[in-house]
Amino acid sequence: MLKLMQNEWMKLWSKKASWMMVFLLVVILFASAAITKYVNSTANEGIEESWQNVVAAQQEANQAMLMDPNMNEAQKDYYTGQIAIAEYRLENDVQPFEFTSMQQSVLDAHEMLSLVTLFTVVIAAGITASEFSQGTIKMLLTRPVRRWKVLTSKYLTTMVFAGLLSVITLLAAALAGLVFFGIGEGTFLVWTGSEVMEGSYWREAIKLSVLSFASVWIIGTFAFMLGTVFRSSSLAIGLSIFLMFTGIQAVFLLSNYEIIKYYLFTHTDLTQFYSGFMPVPDITMTMSLIVLFVYFLLFLGISYWTFSKRDITA
Amino acid sequence: MDGKPIVQLKNLSKTIGKKKIIKNLNLDLYPGQITGFLGPNGAGKTTTIRMMVGLMQPTSGDVMIDGQSIQTDFEESIQKVGVIVENPEMYKYMSGYKNLLHFSRMHKGVSKQRIDEVVMQVGMQNRIHEKVSSYSLGMRQRLGLAQALLHKPKFLILDEPTNGLDPAGIREFRLYLQKVATESGVAVFVSSHLLSEIELLCDRIAIIQNGELIGIKNVNELHHPQYYIHAEPLELAEEVLSGIGFPLAKHDKGLVIDSDEQHIPGAVQMLVSAGAKIYTVQPHRATLEDQFLEMTGGGQFAQAHAK
Repeated sequence: MLKLMQNEWMKLWSKKASWMMVFLLVVILFASAAITKYVNSTANEGIEESWQNVVAAQQEANQAMLMDPNMNEAQKDYYTGQIAIAEYRLENDVQPFEFTSMQQSVLDAHEMLSLVTLFTVVIAAGITASEFSQGTIKMLLTRPVRRWKVLTSKYLTTMVFAGLLSVITLLAAALAGLVFFGIGEGTFLVWTGSEVMEGSYWREAIKLSVLSFASVWIIGTFAFMLGTVFRSSSLAIGLSIFLMFTGIQAVFLLSNYEIIKYYLFTHTDLTQFYSGFMPVPDITMTMSLIVLFVYFLLFLGISYWTFSKRDITA
Repeated sequence: MDGKPIVQLKNLSKTIGKKKIIKNLNLDLYPGQITGFLGPNGAGKTTTIRMMVGLMQPTSGDVMIDGQSIQTDFEESIQKVGVIVENPEMYKYMSGYKNLLHFSRMHKGVSKQRIDEVVMQVGMQNRIHEKVSSYSLGMRQRLGLAQALLHKPKFLILDEPTNGLDPAGIREFRLYLQKVATESGVAVFVSSHLLSEIELLCDRIAIIQNGELIGIKNVNELHHPQYYIHAEPLELAEEVLSGIGFPLAKHDKGLVIDSDEQHIPGAVQMLVSAGAKIYTVQPHRATLEDQFLEMTGGGQFAQAHAK
């Protein structure tokens, strides 16, 4: 299996497009940091607001949110924690990270994983489909390797690629932050449920990235299935990206129906349990993980079934 | 044929939709022998070959390679097979060497040394590190052969291997295949619709038509010795030769007689002394085309074409 993955890895990096993706990812992260710096330096001239005022305002807003009776446990936890942290900051004079600091860009890096999803979809859709369109599938499947092994190596390679891009995103965000903003003032605080403590912002950033990776993973798997079933990477890429955008919109449309709880895109964003914003409140982390896993099994099941049964006529 | 068959097709059948594409094919292939697989377009050559290498699943029947079923022991049986299906499609964005490395990793026990050895064998050592997209069709064909030979297969199967090659390329390819068959005792199975090509290359031909195997013949058996004699006046020559007792037939401007080599000088002498002028005496080979049309009943061949 390792040898097969080595093969897929070699083919992947022999294509210019893969290198282009890494390059684009880094360029976009640096560009967005540069733009933030520029916009910040022009827009905030003359307006000097102290961090105490900002934190106090946030605290007030969060307290208002907590009044909402429709909140679930995860949301209550989140807002309670935020309020406690804000209190602690004001009492002990502990400043949060500046908006333009290396630390804050690391913490926000997971938001850029949607870009990684996009690139992963392209790779996942093409990794099997391109073998068909190039005609190399005949060469690949007349080897003493069972078809499911070939497909597994392709799937794992796609996921390793996605993981690598995610790590690159985090590191590039840190580097871009360092270059454009430098290490800023401030301390990262966490709410343990009973008290406020100093915490590692890297740990928090990695946690958020791992949670965001669930979306990369499931949408990548979906694109992988489409590429395998339709043998056309353009169709698979198009359909996956279309669904990625409309799928999330549909969550709001369907939010009044029971079915929403079993709908894939209700669950793709796992960071929702740690951000206070949940379009569908009556779900839990466990439930999301189960739903995602069932979809994952379904997608892979269809891929394996069609790939190992198919007569190769290309 | 002596020896144990290396490949056996047993009642191989394929039905697609309601149409029976392949009907109960039975065929044995032996080591060191090159078997041609002939048939008009659409007769089922490619389908048969794809079933033999695991790209398609037979509806019924089986393919045994060295005693192992391609369906139940896929990895073990296919390890012994080298395949070139139509044009060998390679990863164009990688070098020839990387392509070979790629395929070698999918077989057990192919060392880097073996890759170099095969590269030498097909004479590509100068350009193996260039991208496949820069190769000519002939080079790609050679690379295709290299990947098929990497794991020292006992059985080589080729689907229309000379498609698109120029005459020199075809000749080179032919000599190479014959070398592999005789030196390493590899069984070779070649499909083609080019009759002349098959005739030069193969020891034996199997003919398929409308999904049925309609004949297997050894190429040597097809040729009993014949001579073509062009002498004037023709009537005189005919009289003399039939007088001696040669079976003969009119062909072109002269006559074709069934005879061994040793009788020819005598026949010539008789003709000369009878006063005939001799223009040509040469061995005559009925082309495979004639045989083929005879076997397929000519008209049916055209019918199958029209279908």
